[in-house]
Amino acid sequence: MSAPVAASDIDLFADDVLVDPYPTYTALREQAAVVHLPVNDVYALTRYDVIRDALGDPETFSSVKAIGFNPMVNDALQGTSLASDPPVHTQLRATLSANLTPRALRGLGETIEAKADTLVAELATRGSFDAIDDLARAFPLEIVADLIGFTGTVKANMLRWGQAAMEVIGPMNPRTQENFPIAGELYGWCSQVTADDLADGSIGRGIFDAESRGDIPEGAAGHIIHQYLGAGVDTTIASIGNIIALFGRHPEQFAKVRDDLSLVPAAFAEVLRFWPPVHAWGRRVTKDVEIDGAVIPAGAHAAILFGAGNHDPRHYDDPDTFDITRNPVDHLSFGYGPHGCAGQGLARMEGHAVIRALATHLTSFEVDGEVRLPSNITRSISELRVLAHA
Amino acid sequence: MTTLTAPPGKDTLMKIELDRPRCEAHGLCEEAAPDLMHLDDHDDLVLDVTEVDGAALERARAAVRVCPVAALRLV
Repeated sequence: MSAPVAASDIDLFADDVLVDPYPTYTALREQAAVVHLPVNDVYALTRYDVIRDALGDPETFSSVKAIGFNPMVNDALQGTSLASDPPVHTQLRATLSANLTPRALRGLGETIEAKADTLVAELATRGSFDAIDDLARAFPLEIVADLIGFTGTVKANMLRWGQAAMEVIGPMNPRTQENFPIAGELYGWCSQVTADDLADGSIGRGIFDAESRGDIPEGAAGHIIHQYLGAGVDTTIASIGNIIALFGRHPEQFAKVRDDLSLVPAAFAEVLRFWPPVHAWGRRVTKDVEIDGAVIPAGAHAAILFGAGNHDPRHYDDPDTFDITRNPVDHLSFGYGPHGCAGQGLARMEGHAVIRALATHLTSFEVDGEVRLPSNITRSISELRVLAHA
Repeated sequence: MTTLTAPPGKDTLMKIELDRPRCEAHGLCEEAAPDLMHLDDHDDLVLDVTEVDGAALERARAAVRVCPVAALRLV
């Protein structure tokens, strides 16, 4: 005999929840591991173990027509690795991740370190700068442009295209509706781009060369580039903004990493755990699933709340404390399992490079004027002023 | 293959299994258990030890835990 599923009238995509979801996460997590949210027509997964188990079990928690919170985006994502299950997923994923392995990225590592160092050194001499425009946006946009090999107008459009690609994953609210045409521009560009549009020696050019050799299916190159840009821009911008905001709020933690640069990877893992860039992600339940005695019915839509899991006191001691010595290597912010973030190696290179550059060029810094705008899927800071002490 | 042993009876002997197609060479397992596994020059994961118990089993658990794509398990 199963217990009734807990329910709440919370709207996960309400403006105030999107701007600061943590009180809501805490309430839902303490209510139950699974909470039915009729307003969003989803079953929210709220606790660390339940989320990790779901991510590791694609047979029960399917990604097909499931990752987004409106039917239009789920239709548009059909046929991508993101929206498929094993065994179909396995080949699509291999094609997507082939250029993102540590070996494929090795050459890029030094470039990333050097670019972060130059950029932060210049910002340090200015004394005051905007953490978001001048660093969190500028840096990953330059890296992804180098990676794919584009320049000019495409580069100028990448910020809004990348934001729109994530925004449309939300429910069909005004934010999603306004962003569909912009996400369409990105899709359109990726559909018509050719090898000649991309710089020689770039990874993007290499993907097209692989297509002409027949190593990957016809038409796959455009899809892969679409996924790199759709998934890798807005999330990385969010995490770099979060690095600066969290170190600004916790100067004693910045002092620790300055004293000991070997803490850089642990610091980035803690930034990701503390404020995951992604708010919610969907799965479709393929059969009745019993969790803590409550049943999610077959066919229901599950919403994975990474931030709720990352702040679960059942898994992390004192989870609401930002502590860079914690080294939470098993945080949920890159997901987990077959769909775990394919670009996490690149994201780590960028995050580590930024933290190292800040620790190298700034003695300390203060932040103020933090602005957050509600956004369906990516939770990021839009403006943040930094007063830097070189 | 070699086996790292602990005092008898202290722990069960377990086997590390790799789902090779799923491995993407993120390398976090090697950081967790450098004595048990490593990435070779082609970024293929090599299990240097497959059967573990005692302290080695704990490191193997850490390696399994940290794999971001769930390519490792203990059986």
